[in-house]
Amino acid sequence: MEDRDLHPLERALLAYLSTRPGADAGSAIADGAMEDEGSFRRASQWLLSRGLVREASSATRMLVELGPLGRECLEAGAMPETILYGKVRSGVSDPVVLQSDPAFDAARWGSALGALLRTGAVEKTGEGLKPGRSDASLFERVWTLVYRPLAEGTPVPLDGLPGDVRDFVLQRSPKRGRGRAEFSVTERTVQVLEITPEGRLALETSEGVLTGALTSDMLADGSWRKARFRRYSLDMPPARIHAGRLHPYRQFLDAVRRRFLAMGFKEMRGSIAESEFWNCDALFMPQFHPARDIHDVYFLDGCRVEPPEEGILERVARTHKDGWESGSRGWGYDFSTETSRRTVLRSQGTALSARTLASGPDVPGMYFAIARCFRYDQVDATHLPDFFQVEGIVLGRDMDLRHLLGLLGLFAAELAGAGEYRCLPAYFPFTEPSVELFVRHPSIGWMELGGAGLFRPEVTAPLGVDVPVIAWGLGLDRMAMVAMGLSDIRDLMTGDLSRLRSMRVLPDRVLGGGGGRA
Amino acid sequence: MPKIEVDRADLLALAGLDGISDEELGLRLAILKGELDLRQGDTLRIELKDTNRPDLWCVEGVARGLAALDGRRRRRLSGMPEARRELYADASVGGIRPWIAAFAASGPPLTPSAVEALIAGQEKLASSFGRNRRTAAIGFYRLSDIEFPVRYSAVDPGTSFHPLGEASLMTLSEVLERTEVGRRYAALLAGCDAYPFLTDAVGRPLSFPPVVNSESTGRVREGDTDLFCEVTGTDWGTVGLTCVILACNLEDRGFDIEPVEIVFHGPAPGERARIATPVRRLDRLAIDREGIRRILGTVPPDDGIESALRRMDYDSWKVESGRVEAELPPYRRDGLHPVDLVEDIADAIGLESFEPLMPSAFTIGAAAPVEDLCDALRTAMIGMGFEEIMLPVLTSRSRPGLAPSGGPALIANPMTLEFGAVRNSLIPGLLAVEEQSGRAPYPHRLFETGEVLLVEPGGAAATRVLIAAAVFGNEAAFGDAHSVLAAICASRGLEARLEPGSDPRFIEGRCARVMVSGRHAGVVGELSPALLHEARVSRPGSAFELDAETLAG
Repeated sequence: MEDRDLHPLERALLAYLSTRPGADAGSAIADGAMEDEGSFRRASQWLLSRGLVREASSATRMLVELGPLGRECLEAGAMPETILYGKVRSGVSDPVVLQSDPAFDAARWGSALGALLRTGAVEKTGEGLKPGRSDASLFERVWTLVYRPLAEGTPVPLDGLPGDVRDFVLQRSPKRGRGRAEFSVTERTVQVLEITPEGRLALETSEGVLTGALTSDMLADGSWRKARFRRYSLDMPPARIHAGRLHPYRQFLDAVRRRFLAMGFKEMRGSIAESEFWNCDALFMPQFHPARDIHDVYFLDGCRVEPPEEGILERVARTHKDGWESGSRGWGYDFSTETSRRTVLRSQGTALSARTLASGPDVPGMYFAIARCFRYDQVDATHLPDFFQVEGIVLGRDMDLRHLLGLLGLFAAELAGAGEYRCLPAYFPFTEPSVELFVRHPSIGWMELGGAGLFRPEVTAPLGVDVPVIAWGLGLDRMAMVAMGLSDIRDLMTGDLSRLRSMRVLPDRVLGGGGGRA
Repeated sequence: MPKIEVDRADLLALAGLDGISDEELGLRLAILKGELDLRQGDTLRIELKDTNRPDLWCVEGVARGLAALDGRRRRRLSGMPEARRELYADASVGGIRPWIAAFAASGPPLTPSAVEALIAGQEKLASSFGRNRRTAAIGFYRLSDIEFPVRYSAVDPGTSFHPLGEASLMTLSEVLERTEVGRRYAALLAGCDAYPFLTDAVGRPLSFPPVVNSESTGRVREGDTDLFCEVTGTDWGTVGLTCVILACNLEDRGFDIEPVEIVFHGPAPGERARIATPVRRLDRLAIDREGIRRILGTVPPDDGIESALRRMDYDSWKVESGRVEAELPPYRRDGLHPVDLVEDIADAIGLESFEPLMPSAFTIGAAAPVEDLCDALRTAMIGMGFEEIMLPVLTSRSRPGLAPSGGPALIANPMTLEFGAVRNSLIPGLLAVEEQSGRAPYPHRLFETGEVLLVEPGGAAATRVLIAAAVFGNEAAFGDAHSVLAAICASRGLEARLEPGSDPRFIEGRCARVMVSGRHAGVVGELSPALLHEARVSRPGSAFELDAETLAG
């Protein structure tokens, strides 16, 4: 037996049962021991499970319940027959007047009048309707014996009703067409419970008023000294709390950000709307490059962003045309400043790196940004309309291919928790040599983590930088999905709060294994 | 990045790599910046990542690169005979589609896979490198059907011929209007009152470039041994390189290439009006020892560099104590800067043979101030029991809750209307989450910090970082949002002052402009029932939105 005090409901039912050989829900409610059927059910279930009461017998009984029509009557507060009878008694005799009364809809008027005529409560005369020989007491008794107890939650057994009321109820409980029935009669199992010796013992030992909640009043007036505190059940599930918390994707991005700060990188920020100049031209992507057309980049209508400084624009344009002083022969086409000014949604975080290069960066210097980028892709399980990339640069007089490879090895370990990584030749318009980084992620296996390279002199020279610059960009979404246990990328930014509340950042998968190792 | 599909057996036979495994093939492709994407039966899908190497976008080019890596080098158009045939480019094509290059080729009977590869390679070049046939379009013909000199001119749109694959004669305008291929490329000739047309010396039509060949001469079949090929376009560089690549491809299949002399009667691409194509031009790159060292950190031995250049199929080279002068093969025009030469050397030697080093300079990490600020704001918000949401910046231009002024910026080329605009407020996102979350237990206390794009009336667009929060439940209370707003300001040591304000998103009289440190910082209020209805949100709510940087203090 569970070691806890009796709940007030349990006490009430036990006390009631202790005075009689057995009882069911109907009698317990009728006698006022229980409030309603729900209370009876809860108390009896608890007591049965603790062995304080047992089932003496169970019988099936026919119980009356309200059908849809019955519930309408209950809401209206009366049966239509009673209302009609009342009107006729008060002297209204014209059926037309009666029928147009807003209290009736057409269907109910007909059946109510029929019932009143049948019982003789109303008679038809040449002038109209008048009260008949017998009264309408049947309908009043139906209201008292059936409607009222049901409204209060007391079960109404069919066999407990007087004969005429019973016949009336049965007549209005069709087996078919229940959708418009006033009553329905259902067979229900009724439990008769009796108290057990353990129940009597529990009742005796629980004598005295038990206290539920301790209140500040009790502390103030000292009544706590005499109080007996009811022992609470420990099996009750606690109320759920939806705590305030960071978005799981944010937790992941924060971890990445902290890692870069810890590696000694400075954070860059910039606009999500960029001119084509910074998004492409400054990165030596020729204006005819296929990655610049309307199927790869989003163009913004009627928007403009700050134009680049005149000198920089001039040098970049020259570099595209004939290489300027970068040592290149250039792309050999006429650069359009108009194209340069068009506004796009940033398609690569490298735009931020280009701006940093043009604004007098530290040498040696290391910069990074977690940047929202936008690509022209159909949104599906592997593509979002906008996504995060981590991009950055490392400037230094002695930076070369070997440092590029070293840095990528560091990222493989720090961000993907990968012991194994591979660098393969790659192509980006703005770097040469260019390298792609593949890592063996502890959960995903071999995956492409990102691209990197040494910025081409055609990128650095016109921006006024004369030292080698390592540039890199890494994708984050795939690792974020692993960290959050997701298979559909759209869930990264779900709008469904229930879904969001169920998501966790799996701590052992953040950055491929907790991080912290170098 | 271009992707091509090739017949595996054809590729390996051309490359001389019979019996190689897919894994080994993948490793070699990586040196050419290619990736084995997929294998389906006998077909391989290969992704070529270098957008400047159109020579690799066909089976012959990939095979040529693979063969060279193994030391088996092809002819690269060396030893072509003098041109014997002529093609006249009339002055009339000048303003329409001025450039043309052509050659003849004779060789072993074309096999079915060669015909297929020829067509696929031509399609890929014309669509990707030739920008959907604008800068370059290609035609192949049976040489024996053609009398030289061939004539390239612009003719009346009423001129008729029998287009390839059609049942009967059609005029050029009918081709553009009625055939599928005509409609696809009609835009390339929009506004022209004469159309490019190729005929032979006796007036037989060869083709209507860049749209369609003629039925009588322009169909190449299995077993053909003698071919004529022409490339037309609007950019001489693209036309010339395309012609070279096609000639190399046929040469690698055992054909002998015979140049055709183009006589430009109108404007000419160079100084001379007569040019024999393909032009075997070799781009030259040079770098000294110090240049190599600066990029690679080390200078490979001379014979290592020579071997690398040979394996990358360079045409010729001179290497002396680390100083390199080299000529690219004729099918490459992507050597812009000496760094390109150095990368080829490094890739051929293998990236794994360079020792990774860590940058040794000491640098101090530093967060962007706005990010630190947002961190602090988020911490304060979750302390008050708010749940963070994160939504895309792109939204629909009709999404309920966007700010009534300052945009949203509209995307000129949206992929879908669902993502046709850039948000100018975070409130639409809060409403969108509430709309989808009616079944999640209440209360809902939501917030987001994030970027929006604000557009001034003149069009100046600025990215701002905002913080917005909303409380949804059975009853809306102005105080819900107001007290959180006050607390978030207090967490920054600031005080928010409210001024009566009006914003259609909030109930009139229950909306305020928020002033922080004398600056307009945002808005707070009870969300209007009309907005909630429009957003299909069934619970009332109050919300605020502030420019995060006004809380920097």
